[in-house]
Amino acid sequence: MLREAEIYGSQGLFRESLQKYIEARKLIEENPKIKNRASLLAAVSKKIRSVEKALQEVDQAPAATEMSSQEQDLVKKLFAYSPDKDQDAIELEGALALAKFGQFERALAEFKQLQEKDNLRLAASKNIIRCYMAMSDTDSAVDEYTRWLESERFSRRQMEHLGAFFQNMIDKRGLDVPLPALGTVQGGDATVMENDDLAEDEIIDISSIVIHFESGPQAGKQLAVEVSFQTGNVVSLLISSRDKEFIEGLDVGVKLNNLQFFSPIAIFKGSGVVTAKTRIASGPKQGDYSLDIRITGAE
Amino acid sequence: MAVFNIRNREIECKIVYYGPGRCGKTTNLEYIYRSFTKQVSGKMVSIDTDGDRTLFFDFLPMGIGRVMGCDVRLQLYTVPGQVKYSSTRKLVLKGADGVVFVADSMEIRREKNMLSLKDLHNNLKGYGSSVFKIPLVMQYNKRDLEGQIPLMSIDQMKKDLNAQLKVPDFEASALTGNGVGATLKECLKLTLKSLQRELKWTE
Repeated sequence: MLREAEIYGSQGLFRESLQKYIEARKLIEENPKIKNRASLLAAVSKKIRSVEKALQEVDQAPAATEMSSQEQDLVKKLFAYSPDKDQDAIELEGALALAKFGQFERALAEFKQLQEKDNLRLAASKNIIRCYMAMSDTDSAVDEYTRWLESERFSRRQMEHLGAFFQNMIDKRGLDVPLPALGTVQGGDATVMENDDLAEDEIIDISSIVIHFESGPQAGKQLAVEVSFQTGNVVSLLISSRDKEFIEGLDVGVKLNNLQFFSPIAIFKGSGVVTAKTRIASGPKQGDYSLDIRITGAE
Repeated sequence: MAVFNIRNREIECKIVYYGPGRCGKTTNLEYIYRSFTKQVSGKMVSIDTDGDRTLFFDFLPMGIGRVMGCDVRLQLYTVPGQVKYSSTRKLVLKGADGVVFVADSMEIRREKNMLSLKDLHNNLKGYGSSVFKIPLVMQYNKRDLEGQIPLMSIDQMKKDLNAQLKVPDFEASALTGNGVGATLKECLKLTLKSLQRELKWTE
């Protein structure tokens, strides 16, 4: 038993090691005939304290730590997924990768630089809010938002969009933080980046979807489908074989620009892309289709 | 999400080592780094905690030469196994072309293996894939501990983890290197076959 405990400890399995040591201690305590019982008990107790300490260190390890700048550069290089080679998109993806790995300080610095570019301003600003909220620094997020309101860099439509986005994050976290009113921000068209995909935490539970077909043989028709499963911004739909004529136009990669989402709390429009299509080969749903759609935008 | 440069005939693919915490994913990569020196094309990067646990990921770049007229570059990653690093695990898995699932042979880790495989399935599903679609190889690690502590039998592990999947599987000891190369080679073979089909890549 002690050998097992020792090996688990050497494997870094401190919980399992501790369990074995405690069992061993109990066994020794209950058996007065064991030779050198007192010294054995003392040794096992010492081991228990040592494993408990190691376990505590592991449990208290931070969920994210600051990487070195070289490691951050590597993260940018390895995790900036950009389907095109557009430099702006690559830069935005790089900053997003840093934020996703919890490297908020550097991500913030990069998003603030990207705000200078007209076509990235909105996406960068949303991610600045996201970073501050992830850091539980709501005050800084509000300060930034207030500065944007007072500046002339954003159109009214952009500020409306940012305000709604920010308010949604505040509501989701159950915070009571009043945002400054829009006031007299000037009008103008917002430039929304096409690849400003919705982050998973912005998607609410969706119960059903209506797909409006805009081209192909089913153009002008619509298909209402219930959502069978949802992970983040990917919804899985079960489509009956009776709707085969619709499924034929829904191949992997097809972009759907006119979707209507129904959730228990809201109905909204948006866009998505088909990421998987499988014909069910057996069971009660044999012949039906399983279709996965990744939601890429919501209005 | 392999990168295929048609003009330069270069292909870059990503293989991710997945599995429960402390199962030996990093040890696999460390052995590859030490032993496949001809193929290793850069430094192995490990970002871990004081306790030697992977916090973000390990990364090892390799070049395996020409396959069907293409220069194949390989990126090996490990995910952090601990449950609390779920979102990092999902991030690292993104774009994987092949996966090695490292299972811990210790009897006490049986449930953790199954939970981790389920976690892999869920995360792949989030990217429109699944354990049934992606090139996947199973490794039963820590067989060197046989006789020292209770280990699961290979039959038991196959039944728990591979009965439905029926993917190639290997006994291994990442510490001694036994089975490490065979696991990687098989995963690479499956991955390249899958990419050939997907990218319609011919000589």
